[in-house]
Amino acid sequence: MGNNGCAPWQRLHSRMIWVDLVQSVLSLAPAGLAVWMFGVDPRGGGLWPLLAVAASGVIGAVSDALRWIFTRYRVTDQYVERRSGVLVRSYRSVRRDRIRSVDIEAKLRHRLAGLRVVNIGAGQQAAAGESALALDAVSAKDAEQLRHLLLRRGSVSPSTLDVDVPTADDVAHLAVADGAADEQVLARFRPGWVVYNMLNIWAYIMALGLLWGGYWLADSFGIDVVGVARDTLDWEVLGWGWTIGIGVLGVSALGVIGLATNFFAEHWNFELARVPGEHGTMLRTRQGLLRTREVNRDDGRMRGVQIAEPVLWRWMGMADTTVITTGLSIWSMSQPTAILPRGPIGVARPVTAAVLATEPNPLEVPLRRHPSAALRRRLWWATAITATVVGMLGWLAAHDVIPAATLWAGVALGPVAFGAGVIAFRALGHAIAGEYVVFRSGLVSRATAALQRSAVSTIAIRESLLQRRLGLNTVSAMTAAGHGIYEAPDIAADEAIRFAADTATGILDPFLITASDQDVADAVDRREPG
Amino acid sequence: MTVQTPSASAIRLRPPHNRIERRAILWWTLQSLALFGPILAGTVVAYVQWDSARSWLIALLIGAALLTMVSVVIEPWWRYAVHRWETTDEAVYGLTGWLVREWRVAPISRIQTVDAVRGPLEQLLGLATLRVTTASSRGAIEIAGLDADVAAEVAERLTTITRQTPGDAT
Repeated sequence: MGNNGCAPWQRLHSRMIWVDLVQSVLSLAPAGLAVWMFGVDPRGGGLWPLLAVAASGVIGAVSDALRWIFTRYRVTDQYVERRSGVLVRSYRSVRRDRIRSVDIEAKLRHRLAGLRVVNIGAGQQAAAGESALALDAVSAKDAEQLRHLLLRRGSVSPSTLDVDVPTADDVAHLAVADGAADEQVLARFRPGWVVYNMLNIWAYIMALGLLWGGYWLADSFGIDVVGVARDTLDWEVLGWGWTIGIGVLGVSALGVIGLATNFFAEHWNFELARVPGEHGTMLRTRQGLLRTREVNRDDGRMRGVQIAEPVLWRWMGMADTTVITTGLSIWSMSQPTAILPRGPIGVARPVTAAVLATEPNPLEVPLRRHPSAALRRRLWWATAITATVVGMLGWLAAHDVIPAATLWAGVALGPVAFGAGVIAFRALGHAIAGEYVVFRSGLVSRATAALQRSAVSTIAIRESLLQRRLGLNTVSAMTAAGHGIYEAPDIAADEAIRFAADTATGILDPFLITASDQDVADAVDRREPG
Repeated sequence: MTVQTPSASAIRLRPPHNRIERRAILWWTLQSLALFGPILAGTVVAYVQWDSARSWLIALLIGAALLTMVSVVIEPWWRYAVHRWETTDEAVYGLTGWLVREWRVAPISRIQTVDAVRGPLEQLLGLATLRVTTASSRGAIEIAGLDADVAAEVAERLTTITRQTPGDAT
């Protein structure tokens, strides 16, 4: 328990109550508007979405106000503690030397009131989006001071007190703007990046979602959407083709606009910077228009970077940049490992060079091509898959389950599969660059991963039946960071062993033999009968 | 032994020294029978009973029969010929597989847990599986078909070496 008993328990900021009040009023507004201004019959069934909004808004606001009333927190020498709970009282404390990240978030309603939500992370898996302790909400100034206090930034301005561990009393005295001179900004937001985020299959899903929501909203206000559409688009005159064309175009445009808006809301004011932290430097990303997110990644845990290029957009130079690190979940929805939004490769390359900061730059090193046997392997698989599909379709057609014309669909799969094989082959590459090993592969998304050789734990060499005939091996390097495994598929057999030995920095050496040793061993065996 | 600068293509990876127990062939056979036996029996029964769907079920029956034959007769012997294992003071080395062979080496400095696991069939036959995990979720090595005592002794030796090897194993 905290041994500094004189630190008082503080409340969260009182403006939260006003925020809750405003939220209740605003959530009642749509239902009220519909009844009073648009004259919708309140007993009718069409009003239910608005009533649901009103109910959830009011209930949310009331429960939030209750939570505010019953929550207290304090920061002592060793702990951050919080007491909360209406019906079930809970007490949570986090050791200050376990704190790894302090993220400051602000939803729209918090921003308008000048409040921030502080999420304190203690190194637990961030997969559930949970932080060790969340303070919802404190004023913006208090949030910054809390973060400086808890992270104990390396560079301290001369106005702070000269103590080892700043006590709770120093919170009010810490200067907010220290350490800004030691930040090294690596990338900033550019509006042109929206083009790379708009073109996505998700555009259609978003458009459908928006249309569905819009339909129900208009229905609640008593507007007949289908009738309006029929009046504007006289499809008797236009005919099927044009109507469908206009429909698809409209949906696409809606989806693209939706994605673009989403991009701006999520990545406005994006900034990637290297900042000094408690145990060395950290990579910090900050972004967001309505809800700002900040993620700090410890440089000491970073083991490499990866640039992934989706195949359909390689002509545009689209690239996703992520770091290979321990301690961050790659499966989390918020993608904490992404250090840049999806953007041009012309930005990704210099940024990753600055992040890695080694010579030679692993991502610029020319990669070794894989042997043509790898292409033959992929073509064999393409043939096998096409043959299987055609066979199954033929069997089904012979039993009259499906019309025989679908066989042509199976045959059309052939060129597609062959093309995929060629693309996948051309994406292969590997190299050793200084203390990094580089892997490149991938069909749908060509990923180039540069991994520190010292981070490789288990090394594996794999050989299937077909690979044995073609003289190929697949080398896999397992590591605790990132995906856990990075593979170089289909390397020529003798080169594979050398590559694996170099990647694994001495792990494989006791088990390697040179040809001359093997001849000596064979001679010894021959001399000793049985 | 160390490797000097690799000249031409002269280096090769030697297989591990130790073979696994012969009883493992029986273990794999029994496992495959337990898995594919009921499937094959069910398919045969369906084929016999269900006259109208015979043209469909014949394909299923042939497939199930092939799978059963391969996994009961061919796979255990092939696996026994391929599987090998070895532990030194610095690494654990295993060669596993039948259609797809895999040489796998994990350094002892990165090992986090060492287990000797025994399923019901393994307990009947006096076998055990040695499972060594590292900090990477994909980096585990499994050596199946070891004699139970040998596996326990190796697990204990590895645990001792791991305890003495410094490093945080990430």
